[in-house]
Amino acid sequence: MTELILQALFSGVLIGSVYALVALGLALAFGAMRIINLAHGELVLLAAYMAYLVESRTGLDPYFAIPLALVVVAAASFVLFLLVDRIKDHRELNSLILTFAIGIILTNAILLVFASDVRTTASPFLQDAVSLGDLFAMRSEIIAFVLSLVLMGALWWWLKSSWYGRAVRAVSSNRGAAKLMGINPTRIETVSFLVAGALASFAGVALYTMSVVQPATGHALTVKAFIITVLAGVGSIPGVFLGAVLLGVTEALTVTLASSALQELAGMVLFLLVLFLMPNGLFGARARRG
Amino acid sequence: MVGRTIVSVALAFGLAMAGAAAGAQDAPKTFTIGAHMPLTGSLARSGQAFTEGMQVAVKMCNAASPKFQVKVDLIDDESTPAKAVSAVEKLASDGAVAIIGGYGSNIIGPASDASDKLGKVYITAGAVSDELTKRGLKTFFRINNNAGYQRGIATLIGDLKPAKVSIIASTKEAPALLAEGLEKDLAAKGIAVTVHKFDPAITDFKPIINKIKLQDKPDIIMMSAYENDYVGIIRAAKVLKPNVKLIVGTWSLATPKMYTEFPDLMNNVVGTSFLPFPVEVKDEEGRKFSEIYKQSYNKEIEYLSTLSFVETMALCEAIVRSAEAGTLEKGGLAAEMRKTDRNSLLGRIQFDETGDNPNFALSMGQHRDGKIVLVSPKSAATGEIAYPALPW
Repeated sequence: MTELILQALFSGVLIGSVYALVALGLALAFGAMRIINLAHGELVLLAAYMAYLVESRTGLDPYFAIPLALVVVAAASFVLFLLVDRIKDHRELNSLILTFAIGIILTNAILLVFASDVRTTASPFLQDAVSLGDLFAMRSEIIAFVLSLVLMGALWWWLKSSWYGRAVRAVSSNRGAAKLMGINPTRIETVSFLVAGALASFAGVALYTMSVVQPATGHALTVKAFIITVLAGVGSIPGVFLGAVLLGVTEALTVTLASSALQELAGMVLFLLVLFLMPNGLFGARARRG
Repeated sequence: MVGRTIVSVALAFGLAMAGAAAGAQDAPKTFTIGAHMPLTGSLARSGQAFTEGMQVAVKMCNAASPKFQVKVDLIDDESTPAKAVSAVEKLASDGAVAIIGGYGSNIIGPASDASDKLGKVYITAGAVSDELTKRGLKTFFRINNNAGYQRGIATLIGDLKPAKVSIIASTKEAPALLAEGLEKDLAAKGIAVTVHKFDPAITDFKPIINKIKLQDKPDIIMMSAYENDYVGIIRAAKVLKPNVKLIVGTWSLATPKMYTEFPDLMNNVVGTSFLPFPVEVKDEEGRKFSEIYKQSYNKEIEYLSTLSFVETMALCEAIVRSAEAGTLEKGGLAAEMRKTDRNSLLGRIQFDETGDNPNFALSMGQHRDGKIVLVSPKSAATGEIAYPALPW
């Protein structure tokens, strides 16, 4: 039993780190603009298909697709921002509808271009088993875990120490006051969307190396990212990682100790419990100013 | 001069009218078949393959019937039951004489109910739930069913005589139903069975495989699931390497496409099948289908497109027979469908009172270095099963 639980914890942490990678971009856009980008999962998916494109056409390792994914997904994010930015009234609600529609358009565009087949990496190197004592994982999962930690650290540092990062936090905290301090909120929001797109690129490539993707996958990714963002609490980057790991571990333990059919249900119960007991999320600010 | 011109014009007009009348007499009468397929959404892959098989069948049916032709009016049901129901209503109001259904028992159920209320014959190759044929609908027909898949898999596993089998089953209706049936079948043969049901949203199967490895310790892992799940399950098994002898699955697994796309995962895996690969089609109709399909889509025929081809041929022929008998517009198509008795790539096609095909049974094919060898039942086998044999 101990071996089972240890493997479940290990698998939960690994899958949680990928959830975190997927959720980071959504959390950033949500934190900076109060916009829930319902097309975020599709942006991640777009990056995954860039990885497929590069691997299938050139035979290169999917991670070589990151530059291409960065360009394509950042461009898509930029267009998305331009559209969202045109909304003048009830931005929070109208942007939900707009980004949901863009998600549908992206899904169908991917379907048209790449067909509906199941895609995943063919690289034996990435699929090989790695063992840490009695614990097993695919090499791609370990790489995704490390990538997730590095990107989380980089984002945290950027938000805390760089001028742009501080400006993002300022706009997020009080848009009007930030404007009075000489910050151009539109420029800062553009940067936030581009960084969110960059994070989606890494997430998509990592996802392609360790899981399967289909055009219909995007919506499920958005839902998972949204749950984690709410679990973590708005504005908490370490919270996104911990929330994602908590979700991953809860799911894995549910499979091990109860039934695999209850895995998704357990995640939703955790989500509702946190909402009920801690409405600001596990690591969110108790009260917001501005 | 003017008189001659008038006569010439009158003659030309008369000839043209006569020609048109003769043409109208010779022109074949065209009937519309309505079809709703999941061309987008989670079932899009199945919908695309179904559409391809259906289009080839229409081509072949029209080539064989100079007097009556059929055309297909296709609507994307977006993999959702509500869209499928409205598609059926739209197709019926546009004059479709019958409906070809898409994929998934949860979608086919309400769509075929709607079709029955409108008095339209509804045929499907994408819904195997037993409940569908218990509704007493007089217009519902299908060529495949859960019992056929269950029989194929239970025969193979029974012949191998394992002590224990672990079934990993999606909670979606068709795989869950198959798993339940298999559990009973195998238990009746004295085989210990454990079932692990999983939510279709999950992607990491390591916790399930680890339970199987450390607790169940089976001889065979049986997957009742879909393509994306197969990849996740076999990958997890490749990482954790449980001490099993064989991995068996169901639909859309023993296909050349799966081997081409996931060569490192598929070798020695067994799934339901009806043809070996390289394709060896023995009958004339199958050869023609294979040829036209390759010309049209530049690939070999596969499982889903063949199912769709066979159902469309059965429907098309019944429409032609009914039109010839003059009963098509008087609601005679359902009765004509019940008279169907033909051989096909899937075996003999007949419909019983419930609209089900009682003859449906599949063989089991094993991936072997890019080829698919039929290994069960013995009567259809093209080679011996490799056992124990695993992808790793």
